[in-house]
Amino acid sequence: MKEAEVIIIGGGIVGCATAYYLAKKGMTDVIVLEGSSSIGHGASSRNGGGVRQSGRDVRELPVAMCAVEKFWPGLSEELGVDTEYTQEGNLRLGKTPAHMKKLEALAESCQSMGLNVYMVDKEKAHEINPYLSDDVMGASFCPTDGHANPLTTTLGYYQKALSLGVQFYTEAKVASLRKVRGQVEDVILDDGTIFKGKKIVLAAGYHSRAIMNTIGLDVPMQDVIDGCIVTEQEPVMFKQMLGCASADFYGHQTRHGSFVFGAEAGGEAYMDIAPETTNFAHPDTLGATCRGVEGYIPKLAGAKIVRSWTGWCDCTADGVCVLGTVEEAPGLILACGFNGHGFGTAPAVAYMMAQIALGEKPLLDLSALAYERFC
Amino acid sequence: MIDINAKLKEIGPYIPEEDDDLLVCRCEEVTKGEIRKAIHSGLFTIEELRRFLRCGMGLCQGQTCGLLTRRLIAKELGTSVHEIDVATSRAPMRPVLMDEASRDHKGE
Amino acid sequence: MSMEYKEMVVIGAGPAGLSAAIEAASKGIKVTVYDENARPGGQLFKQIHKFFGSKEHKAKIRGFKIGEELLNEATKLGVDVVLNATVMGLFAQKELTVLINNEVHHVKADAILVATGASENMVNFRGWTLPGVIGAGAAQTMMNLHHIKPGNKILMVGTGNVGLVVSFQLLQAGCEVVALVDAAPAIGGYGVHASKLARTGIPFYLSHTVKVAEGEDHVTGVTIAEVDSHFKFIPGTEKHFDVDTICVAVGLSPMTQLLKMDGVKMEDTRGGYVPACKKDGSTSIPGVFAAGDVAGIEEASSAMIEGRMAGAAICEYLGYEDHEEKESREETLFGSLENLREGMFAPKNRGKKIEKTEEGIDISQNLLRHGFIGDDEVERFPGVISKKGIHPVIECSQNIPCNPCQSACHKGCIAIGDHMTSLPVVDPESECINCGMCVASCPGQAIFLVDEEEDHTLITMPYEFYPLPVVGEKGMALGRDGHEVCEAEITNVRTSKAYDHTALVTMKVPAKYAMTARFYKKGEDVL
Repeated sequence: MKEAEVIIIGGGIVGCATAYYLAKKGMTDVIVLEGSSSIGHGASSRNGGGVRQSGRDVRELPVAMCAVEKFWPGLSEELGVDTEYTQEGNLRLGKTPAHMKKLEALAESCQSMGLNVYMVDKEKAHEINPYLSDDVMGASFCPTDGHANPLTTTLGYYQKALSLGVQFYTEAKVASLRKVRGQVEDVILDDGTIFKGKKIVLAAGYHSRAIMNTIGLDVPMQDVIDGCIVTEQEPVMFKQMLGCASADFYGHQTRHGSFVFGAEAGGEAYMDIAPETTNFAHPDTLGATCRGVEGYIPKLAGAKIVRSWTGWCDCTADGVCVLGTVEEAPGLILACGFNGHGFGTAPAVAYMMAQIALGEKPLLDLSALAYERFC
Repeated sequence: MIDINAKLKEIGPYIPEEDDDLLVCRCEEVTKGEIRKAIHSGLFTIEELRRFLRCGMGLCQGQTCGLLTRRLIAKELGTSVHEIDVATSRAPMRPVLMDEASRDHKGE
Repeated sequence: MSMEYKEMVVIGAGPAGLSAAIEAASKGIKVTVYDENARPGGQLFKQIHKFFGSKEHKAKIRGFKIGEELLNEATKLGVDVVLNATVMGLFAQKELTVLINNEVHHVKADAILVATGASENMVNFRGWTLPGVIGAGAAQTMMNLHHIKPGNKILMVGTGNVGLVVSFQLLQAGCEVVALVDAAPAIGGYGVHASKLARTGIPFYLSHTVKVAEGEDHVTGVTIAEVDSHFKFIPGTEKHFDVDTICVAVGLSPMTQLLKMDGVKMEDTRGGYVPACKKDGSTSIPGVFAAGDVAGIEEASSAMIEGRMAGAAICEYLGYEDHEEKESREETLFGSLENLREGMFAPKNRGKKIEKTEEGIDISQNLLRHGFIGDDEVERFPGVISKKGIHPVIECSQNIPCNPCQSACHKGCIAIGDHMTSLPVVDPESECINCGMCVASCPGQAIFLVDEEEDHTLITMPYEFYPLPVVGEKGMALGRDGHEVCEAEITNVRTSKAYDHTALVTMKVPAKYAMTARFYKKGEDVL
């Protein structure tokens, strides 16, 4: 049996960053349990790297704005790792009047929360990104959005937390939780090892569901796979994050020079795959992504794809994450259900999870994202 | 279960070696020293090293350096190369032009 | 648009893939073979040397001939071999994506055989990324497929069979091989392959490896040095060579990516990181099979049998044969495969130190260390005899699965027996008629005809370099170590279709050099 003040289940970006912020605040009696053999094995290393506020649900938008204002700008220096954070805006593209309508509605909803996002016409869109195809008729633009490298960011949080004294275990698969005298306290691994914590942070992606089930909690969510591709290094073309109204593709050029794009062919959500498998891909994703990208940036037709990959999204019924304590499970703090866009918000989410674990009042009111909304 | 902190203590700190500037991954120009240093910062798997340093993430996807990197990990961790997992394989097997990949007879 | 359906798809048109295709097509299965190269045959078309084994393993036939035979047979059986077709991905439900003519085809097959072979390993040394450092396989491709010399002065790193065979081919192509080095303390490949090189004068440096490849923008030289038992350089042991090319032959790794991305269960073995297969090539995914180097590094000869076995298993899987038929076919094939896996170099003996032959004879330590049998060691082997008149001398001292010499001699001079790995024995009573068939049949070029007379000896040796010596020409006889031993005169040069491009060159030397002169160098010319 091992004990700690805080036990974090999940060695992804939320788990590692929560551990880091706890340690930064002086709490180093922290254990992080990662089920796989590598840190950042789940969506943390498999997402498209967007650090985006625009297009977010209004319940989640304040968290994204907080991350962009307070956390991302100094993160590389703070962690001593190049997060490749690039704040050059997010351009969401439209090709039809229907697209433009959709983009306007999205922009309006974000503007209502105080986000600087606005519509640009064809000329302006092509000025921001001269490589766009001629049939792009306009876009929404959020100048404070951007992108970063999820791989180095996640591992940067991990290394920093490790160096501050946080205890990490990999290949530590959590089988169940257990309440002791009404308090969630025991974390039990599949090999029977017991970890006892005063606070338990559950940030294990879709796996969180099976784990919380063992104490009678549930969140309506599904595991959906999503694919990405990466090209070889190319000369610098543009620095914004791109997306589109029709969801044909999204992506950006990384600091390294390679392009990372994501898209769906349609069949991915129906793949029947064991949850521990990360090796699978849908045979149609690669072609669909390339057609999507070529339709908006014809010049990339000659770029070589060196790899594709897939990752899991923990998609909740209402499309936003579940954050914070649970009334019926004292001691437990949830941070899951990020719906495939948890990377950009992760620093702010993790900071607030650390605050909650320490009994502090979090930076933001998270009640709209609470577990109880499904009860 | 792998106790990262205990393992780090066991293998000790990174000590520079004379040939640390040797390239191991030529596609992404990652040196032996960078890999060794990363191992001693708690990255014990080829997946983590790839994510952190890009070694094996270039045009050849680790065809050349995969085994060399696994040997380095094994040496630093004091174990056999057979204990070090191989990186995941992904399509495409060979680099493919976006234009070619988009001409996909099933998806169209 | 649409999915293409195939009955059986083979990925890789090398020895394993083509053999499987032949086996399956002969039972009526419609087979499509995809290969990413412009030519089929895999590595076979680069193999210009004669193969080891017995007749059933196509012994003494040159690799590229075997490739042609396989291809003809497959074509006759209606196998569709699609070239320049890169299989990009293998997905659930046996779906493949194949890039053909800049377009992606989605193909589904009832059975898939992955026979993608292997890729070359690399070593890191200072300067290893300089142009001029190349894989031995790349050198072979340049020479034997594209007819381009990889370099003029070459150092070979690695003394496994690939390093030895490619070094010899480099000599044949007119390159100078300055030395072979290996970090291991003993030569890894067949002694007979090493001896072919040693007798031309090429030095072997065991327990040595490359310290630095020199040059600004390409290789201009190399420094090697001795290593201790922990593979650390021993100061002061450096040796420099002026070279323009460094060839690396340090092993192969199975190209298992397609199997891995399909989720096939894998295992890490001595043969590499390979799919966990049954002996018939079936993997953890029903309908997905693996054969050849992708399932564990071995020889092309083994790959052909493995391919046959996987083909037979696919015949059963697809309902073209019943279980008994498959089992009996498999048993025959497996017996033949097991024969190839016998002897000192058998997979089970990898990494083991062997002191004695199966016959109980001390093995030649000189051969392991320097590439040739010492003059004081050679007479203990049963193929080496000395007597008046003409007789074969077989300098075959390691138990390898190979027996063409036995059937090459119709006079009963040579006996190996039923056990393929036994050392050939020369019967002193039998009458040699100087037909030369044994000399030409030996894939290891280890057989000589020695005609011992009162005042001189005629030595007939296998010779595979151009230009051939001419009768009457004078030069020097070289010993097994490549050093000059005496003057020699060429008295006969024989070529024949039956010899299959191995010339038989006879030189006349003084009688006392009968057991030491083993190669010929033309006067004043450097070979």
